Amino acid sequence: MDPELIDDCVHCGFCLPTCPTYVLWGEEMDSPRGRIHLMKQHVEGTPVTPEMAGHFDACLGCMACVTACPSGVKYDRLIEQTRAEVERAHERDPRERAVRGLVFGLFPYPRRLRLLRPGMWLAERLAPFLERAHPSLGAMAGLAPRVERRQRMPRLVRARGERRAVVGMLTGCVQGEFFPQVNAATARVLALEGCDVLIPAGQGCCGALSVHAGRADQARRLARRTVRTFRKAGVDTVVVNAAGCGSSMKEYAELLGAEPGFRVMDLSEFLVELGPVAERHPLPFAVAYHDACHLAHAQGIRAQPRELLRGIPGLELREVPEAAICCGSAGTYNIFQPEAARDLGDRKAKAVGSTGAELLVSANPGCTMQIAAAMRRGGATIRVAHTAEVLDASLRGVSL
Amino acid sequence: MHAGDAPPATAALDPLTAALRSSLPADSVITDPVRLRTYECDGLTYHRATPGVVVLPETAEQVARVVRLCNEFAVPFVARGSGTGLSGGALPREDGVLIVTSKMRRVLEIDLPNHRAVVEPGVTNLAITEAVREQGYYYAPDPSSQQICSIGGNVAENSGGAHCLKYGFTVNHVEACEIVTPDGDLVTLDRMDPGYDLLGAFVGSEGTLGIATRITVRLSRAPESVTTVLAAFESIEQGGTAVSAIIAAGIVPAAIEMMDALSIEAAEAAVACSYPEGAGAVLIVELDGPAAEVARQFDRLKEICSGAFELRVAADPAERAAIWKGRKSAFAAVGRISPAYIVQDGVVPRTALPEVLAAIDRLSAEHRIRVANVFHAGDGNLHPLVLFDDGEPGAGERAEVVSGAILDLCVEHGGSITGEHGVGVDKVRYMPRMFSEADLDTMQLVRCAFDPRGLSNPGKVFPTPRLCGEVPGVRKGAHPLVESGKAEQF
Amino acid sequence: MSQLKSRESLDKTGVTIRDADEGDAVAGVVPRWVTLPETVEEISAVLRVCAEQDLALAPVGGGTKLHWGRPPERCDVLLDLCCLNEILEHASGDLVVRAQAGVTMDALTAALAAEGQELALDAAPGATVGGTLATATAGPRSFRYGTPRDLLIGITVVLADGTIARSGGKVVKNVAGYDLGKLFTGSYGTLGVIAEATFRLHPLPADRRWLVTRVAPERVRELAVALAASQAEPSAVEIDRPDPGGPVTVAALVEGSAADLRALALREVAGGEVAPGPPPWWGLLPDDEPPHGTGPAGETPDAARPAGEVLVEVRFPPNALNGVLDAARDAGFRLRGSPVSGRLHLAPVGEVTEEALAAAVAGLRERVAVVTVPASPYERVERWGPVGALPLMRRVKERFDPGRRMSPGRFVGGI
Repeated sequence: MDPELIDDCVHCGFCLPTCPTYVLWGEEMDSPRGRIHLMKQHVEGTPVTPEMAGHFDACLGCMACVTACPSGVKYDRLIEQTRAEVERAHERDPRERAVRGLVFGLFPYPRRLRLLRPGMWLAERLAPFLERAHPSLGAMAGLAPRVERRQRMPRLVRARGERRAVVGMLTGCVQGEFFPQVNAATARVLALEGCDVLIPAGQGCCGALSVHAGRADQARRLARRTVRTFRKAGVDTVVVNAAGCGSSMKEYAELLGAEPGFRVMDLSEFLVELGPVAERHPLPFAVAYHDACHLAHAQGIRAQPRELLRGIPGLELREVPEAAICCGSAGTYNIFQPEAARDLGDRKAKAVGSTGAELLVSANPGCTMQIAAAMRRGGATIRVAHTAEVLDASLRGVSL
Repeated sequence: MHAGDAPPATAALDPLTAALRSSLPADSVITDPVRLRTYECDGLTYHRATPGVVVLPETAEQVARVVRLCNEFAVPFVARGSGTGLSGGALPREDGVLIVTSKMRRVLEIDLPNHRAVVEPGVTNLAITEAVREQGYYYAPDPSSQQICSIGGNVAENSGGAHCLKYGFTVNHVEACEIVTPDGDLVTLDRMDPGYDLLGAFVGSEGTLGIATRITVRLSRAPESVTTVLAAFESIEQGGTAVSAIIAAGIVPAAIEMMDALSIEAAEAAVACSYPEGAGAVLIVELDGPAAEVARQFDRLKEICSGAFELRVAADPAERAAIWKGRKSAFAAVGRISPAYIVQDGVVPRTALPEVLAAIDRLSAEHRIRVANVFHAGDGNLHPLVLFDDGEPGAGERAEVVSGAILDLCVEHGGSITGEHGVGVDKVRYMPRMFSEADLDTMQLVRCAFDPRGLSNPGKVFPTPRLCGEVPGVRKGAHPLVESGKAEQF
Repeated sequence: MSQLKSRESLDKTGVTIRDADEGDAVAGVVPRWVTLPETVEEISAVLRVCAEQDLALAPVGGGTKLHWGRPPERCDVLLDLCCLNEILEHASGDLVVRAQAGVTMDALTAALAAEGQELALDAAPGATVGGTLATATAGPRSFRYGTPRDLLIGITVVLADGTIARSGGKVVKNVAGYDLGKLFTGSYGTLGVIAEATFRLHPLPADRRWLVTRVAPERVRELAVALAASQAEPSAVEIDRPDPGGPVTVAALVEGSAADLRALALREVAGGEVAPGPPPWWGLLPDDEPPHGTGPAGETPDAARPAGEVLVEVRFPPNALNGVLDAARDAGFRLRGSPVSGRLHLAPVGEVTEEALAAAVAGLRERVAVVTVPASPYERVERWGPVGALPLMRRVKERFDPGRRMSPGRFVGGI
């Protein structure tokens, strides 16, 4: 933990109202300001106690505090350093270790995930029993999406009409396996807007999950492989449709100590920069747009997805109250901190419900899973879609 | 002012801690030393003390129970809201209990026909406005930390904000408070009730007269029209002249704020507020009210600000927010241009502003300490940010000297040592510069009426706390009535 | 003997003293002497003698509300502040004025107007700065500007033992120390003597317009709520109901630039007529002729007293107006005041006996949040009603005036 980064905090407290755990519990130790204070204590010689580790683990890494901070504290860097330190210095209890081992041995590896797919329907049925065994297992099962038919992505999707750009596309791990339709939509939208889309085979996890959990070595390994893959494909720009992946890939230079050699852009960011050419067909929906933390806070992308959605005739965009507060998904958070995640999910579901929208749009599969699950718990239903899917439907003139 | 390395004095508190644990929910009593230390300071980090115990009550009844237990064990207590205060008002006691109201954050009632909202003390200032914004109402006092500061803290400090020039302070917008008195009783102080205005005395008493547990605030109707103007001047003097001219023209804007070049630089670095380049001072003037009135005042304002080299008018709420963003983040933003700084808070009569600012400039040069000036120009409330490098030997002390000298300037010019941050622990030593011993003794009478045992936030506000039985200093010798046997000293 | 000694000691202060007569009565209690201090130090000197000799005293300004409050338990000295009548400082650039307690509000208004400014309190004619503060009287414009405590920014008081103490200052924004000004405002002289006060000022409005309309009582609440919430921002909304069962006149004031246009906007809401001046009853209490220095009360206990000696004040959440109007009608009171500030003054029509008044007030208390009787010649009419924080108030009184010499017994709970 870098003491200079810690000293940047002037203790003003502006981060508190944006912090999901402070919003839930109202305790200093579970706020960014409090966690920075704990980091300071550790740097000054206090060993990592189980209490201290618990407060770091409870951080969702949503980075809303980074957006809110007027002093420019790099909390994102601090918490990553801290998590690495906790992994190194802190002995977790065996049950916790087992669950963490399971998740990190599974999620970053698409082939292992694929083996899981046929069992998803079973997971849903088993959820109550798993819940009793370990809350995290229950949470995993409860979140499991109904998986769509797997779509094999071609290596190249040609631009429709005049070619305006050539881009690489990340398929990701969770996105690729559980939400293949989002990847398909992303490729079609890019092509319809005049891009040749290169989708190299052999992509795996970009390393985001590991970075956010303090597993730096695993993260670097995965990142290097991703960089290699896209460099071989020879693209200048890699378009990413998952917020968490995009934010991590934008920091490859820091993680690896060398520039990756291509530009990483979120799909919405890229499309707005490129400018629209394809015809938009009307979609008469009331849509609530949810800011994924890794898009809004980590990448500062709020305006672009809204601009794209507003560009669709007939679509009415509604703002969700408390938009800056995380939905509780936060990568693997809903697995490791199921209760907090659940409370945050319920809070977000209520906020989304208050908009009266028929469709919830976000740019992160984790958020969509989380909010949809929370709405189901609350007895409400809302259709969910990725920004790419909505654009895809509008561009192709099909219904959602 | 560090607490030092001695372990916190929790051992002496063990009996009280046990009693607290048995009468409060399990997770609302904190004794783990690592956790306790996160509460060691509020927004003023210069003063630190690890609290003996932290409690996080969820109801007024629980607060009262804690205070009664503190009385039983003769242990001092300090209340804390969001911990954003800038005078150390919520500085804990190592030998005491810190009562944190951050879990008491329910909006209990919104009563628009009566323009009232009833809230718990941990509700944030901005949350009240957010709860009624759609209906066209708002809560007027707006401290810069409004997104996080708690209404309980606002009541304790009598917080102001940029818009108090026209709309007044917390005390003018609080209709009633349920308080836990220093001896643990729940009492409601209501503006409507006959009798002494104890509510008026309580608001701004910095936690020394008890803890507010339920607050009824007045809601204001959102103005029909708001015009926010950013005027850039070449120098701070030109800006100051414009301020005087606005007041002289009989205009009472909702706010008149000024920032000097250094604070503009900081805000620019922090939030990229894009204020006009090369400005020696910017003035933010906000006019609000009926559209017809605002329109006429705006015409007049344009004439008055003809000396400005750029005049920007916010076209929509987003542009208005952009103008305010630089101002509202100015304090914390200074962290970007200086390793350490002291936020000062003094008041001078508006007409003395040019003279005092020039004197601050001289102090700054003399002590080689940079001073950034951000202030509520309309009411003469200065917030000089005294910048220094805490890594440089002696710089901290020089900054302290400059900071204190600025307060002396304020008192000399008939102003105040604090306009809105409160006395807390930070300005206790300056109180005798502003008030005589008789003044302070008289205030102490109020303190003794509420808190004869001196358990509620002791050590704050008043320089030499004396026991309430003691005869105050002005009365030399025995009181005549006591001597003559006609009365007993209380 | 002791009387003689007391008088001698008072004389030694050098302060002008005269014997009191019936015209100096404080709510019916005639003091022995009237002192006329000319400086804060002279007030202090008189109070020190009173402390030595255990003399009780009551301060008086214009005497317009000297009959308000309960009769004092005892009153030896009337401290007439008429000679402290200097405006000490008017810093027009700072919108601040500092004045001695005996300055009349009329004189202050005139002096400030000369500089294009005003103290936005609508004080009663003849009232002084000190008296307005001590009784915390609020006029129509308190709806926008607040009551005296909201415009007071600094105060100098003299305590029972002669201590001269200040709080606040001469800047509007100031949170240093306790705000004694709030505590003394509305304290009816029971904590000490208000000697000087500093107020925040406002520029005189460029223009003023009144909208006056007459409506059925059941429509008043709706109308008042609409006017109060209007973005034309009236400075005051007042009602007058001279006949307890009759219609109600509603008047709203708009001030400032574009007052004409804004008054028209209010007319859209409420109908009625726009006028350049106020209706004749504007800002006056409903007791027609304020009695000055009335004689001892209760000479003939069962005789009905003139209506002018009785004043009832009700406080209520604005939305409860209908209940208040009904209760006042049933009690046979005419009324005047602000439905939007939730403060109305009631007075009986014609004469009223002690029994009738007591019954009427008790009836009101069952239906209205807060009912007080600032002025009444009757002992058996409970003036203040229940006060929740009374134990704390007693403790404050004990600290400030342990010898019970400052207007003892005049205020809530016999403080």
